[in-house]
Amino acid sequence: MSKNPAPVSKWSLFCGLSSKELCPRGRYKCMRNSLLLVMLAITLIPLSITSGLNFIQYQQLLREESQANARWNAESAKATISAYLEKLEAAITVVIDTYSFEDLSDGKKLEHIFRQLKKEHKGLVDLSVVGPDGIQSAYVGPYGLTGRDYSDSLWFHKALTRRMYVSEVFTGFRNVPHFVVAASKKDPYSEHYWVLRASIDTETLDRFLALADTETLEDIFLVNDSGILQSSSRYQGRAMDNFQLTRKPKQNDILIFEEMRGDSSFYRAVSRIQNTPWLLILDQQGAEARKIWHSFKVRLLLTLGLCFLVVGGMVVWLSRFLAGKFREADEMRDVILSETEHSNKLASIGRLAAGVAHEINNPLAIIGEKAGLMQDLLGVEQDFRYREKFLDQLGSLQDAVVRARTITHRLLGFARRMETSLTLIQLNEILQEVLSFLEKDATYRNIHVILQLQENLPVIRADHGQLQQVFLNVINNAIDAIRNDGEIHITSRRENNKTVMVAISDTGPGIAPEILQNIFEPFFTTKGNEERKGTGLGLSITYGLVQKMGGKIEVSSEVGVGTTFIITFPVYYEDKSHDSA
Amino acid sequence: MTAHRILIIDDELDFGTTLAERLELRGFVAKAVGGAEEAMAALAADWRPDVVLLDLMMPGVDGLTTLDLIKQHDSRIQVIILTGHGSTESGIIGMQRGLFDYLMKPVDIGELIVRIKEAGAR
Repeated sequence: MSKNPAPVSKWSLFCGLSSKELCPRGRYKCMRNSLLLVMLAITLIPLSITSGLNFIQYQQLLREESQANARWNAESAKATISAYLEKLEAAITVVIDTYSFEDLSDGKKLEHIFRQLKKEHKGLVDLSVVGPDGIQSAYVGPYGLTGRDYSDSLWFHKALTRRMYVSEVFTGFRNVPHFVVAASKKDPYSEHYWVLRASIDTETLDRFLALADTETLEDIFLVNDSGILQSSSRYQGRAMDNFQLTRKPKQNDILIFEEMRGDSSFYRAVSRIQNTPWLLILDQQGAEARKIWHSFKVRLLLTLGLCFLVVGGMVVWLSRFLAGKFREADEMRDVILSETEHSNKLASIGRLAAGVAHEINNPLAIIGEKAGLMQDLLGVEQDFRYREKFLDQLGSLQDAVVRARTITHRLLGFARRMETSLTLIQLNEILQEVLSFLEKDATYRNIHVILQLQENLPVIRADHGQLQQVFLNVINNAIDAIRNDGEIHITSRRENNKTVMVAISDTGPGIAPEILQNIFEPFFTTKGNEERKGTGLGLSITYGLVQKMGGKIEVSSEVGVGTTFIITFPVYYEDKSHDSA
Repeated sequence: MTAHRILIIDDELDFGTTLAERLELRGFVAKAVGGAEEAMAALAADWRPDVVLLDLMMPGVDGLTTLDLIKQHDSRIQVIILTGHGSTESGIIGMQRGLFDYLMKPVDIGELIVRIKEAGAR
């Protein structure tokens, strides 16, 4: 008949736990590793997931913040430039509305006005008046452009058609990048339009744009719809250089999108500046390029690393500890099983031994009595020829009976300590029972037993028969030690809340120290005479029985004075909480 | 002084009769029976022993029950258990029921006579 194999875990990691091919050490190593991996997974996976989510969430937050910063900075820069232009436009409007073409064509007056305007409007390079024919009639500024013809210039025509016009940046006659703010007015007499023009250099724009610069700002510049830079750029070049803008906003919206420069990304905000031909472009540092992001990553990695180290260390320790505890528990279980098996075997052997001893005792008794009767009869019959020879033979027969009796009694003693049944026991009662059994022998030898038994002694939990055996052995030993004429003192008392003790003292010859230290060893005997030869097992068995019952046996002796055995047992409490009462 | 009357109750009659013969050689009046029924019959027939030597394990009525029957009949009769099947527990139970002494087979005749005399003297 084939046996079903033991179920083996489907997971190769755990198969070692039930694998019978592995040695016990290998199985616990496998268990330890399995526990290690499971606990690492249980602790570190959630930690990693939480950290990952935290990482993504914070990155998202920083991106949103960078975009918001880009929008806010773009609006701020746009407002600064718009405010400057509006203020200049307002001043030019006041001048053109206040003075006529003839007034302003007067060089001195224009110069006076230019000086006043320059005080208020930094970056103003020159101021000029251009007549309806496009010829510059008056000019105040560093370039000496009086009389120049602007009739073919785009800005002149734009200015004529609009009341106020801001030009793109161009180089013009002066060959220097600048832009103009021009206002036109209709002459009431000729009914032709003339123009008052102010030129501003691009450095003024650069200065205003620089006001928006922050730590996280990468670049800010102006560009026109044709892709010509209108101001200097940190990365794109100087004014009038070409620049390719991929996306443009509709009307006054601020368009924000992500761009790459090398390996790092940034946010580009693009916005039109109203009433100008310019687009403001602002490049804001990307979230990943910010110091705060690097700092966060470093702290997150450090925290995560520290957590991994601490948790990993604890898990390693815990898995070793648990595997160790499992091993201890298994070993303890194996020991208990082995002891139980051993006890069962011994109990079986004990029962068998008892049965054999009992069955042998009866025929042995018949042999003994028959031989004894024959000895008796030979004692009466003096004339029998072979009387002496028969008496010798019968003496040998009786010796053999005594030897066999010693063996059967030893077997019975062995059997008696095999079976265990725990009950609640009053020590005084057991002592009285055992004494009732031994008092005949004591009286026969003129040995006085003096009792000092404390009343209301707490109960103990022990095997009744084994406890009788313990006291029987010790008191028997005392009787044997005294032989004839002496005293045995038996005292019982409660030692403390946890223990009760019985002291058995005899007035025998005492035991020498070198013998005393071996007295509980198996097969150690001091009973030398043939009649009462000891097996050397009595006190060893007693010691084992007392220990088995949770007790303790101690002996003290003085040669010439006597010997005292002190046996202590734990008090039994039904409710274990009384232990500490 | 009259000789003590000894009743031996043992299912091993060969043992009982041999022991009775040995005791008689030593001046006792001894009788061996095979069980409780015969023992009670002897008592009823007015054969009153001073000391009873009683086996413990017997077919039918066991030794401890026989002890009770004897003590019920006459509590003055002293009973010594003489058994091959003894144990400390059964000895103590017997003592509690009025047993005089408890001896294990095979017993030394000298020790037995000392105990019989002690019992008879009570």
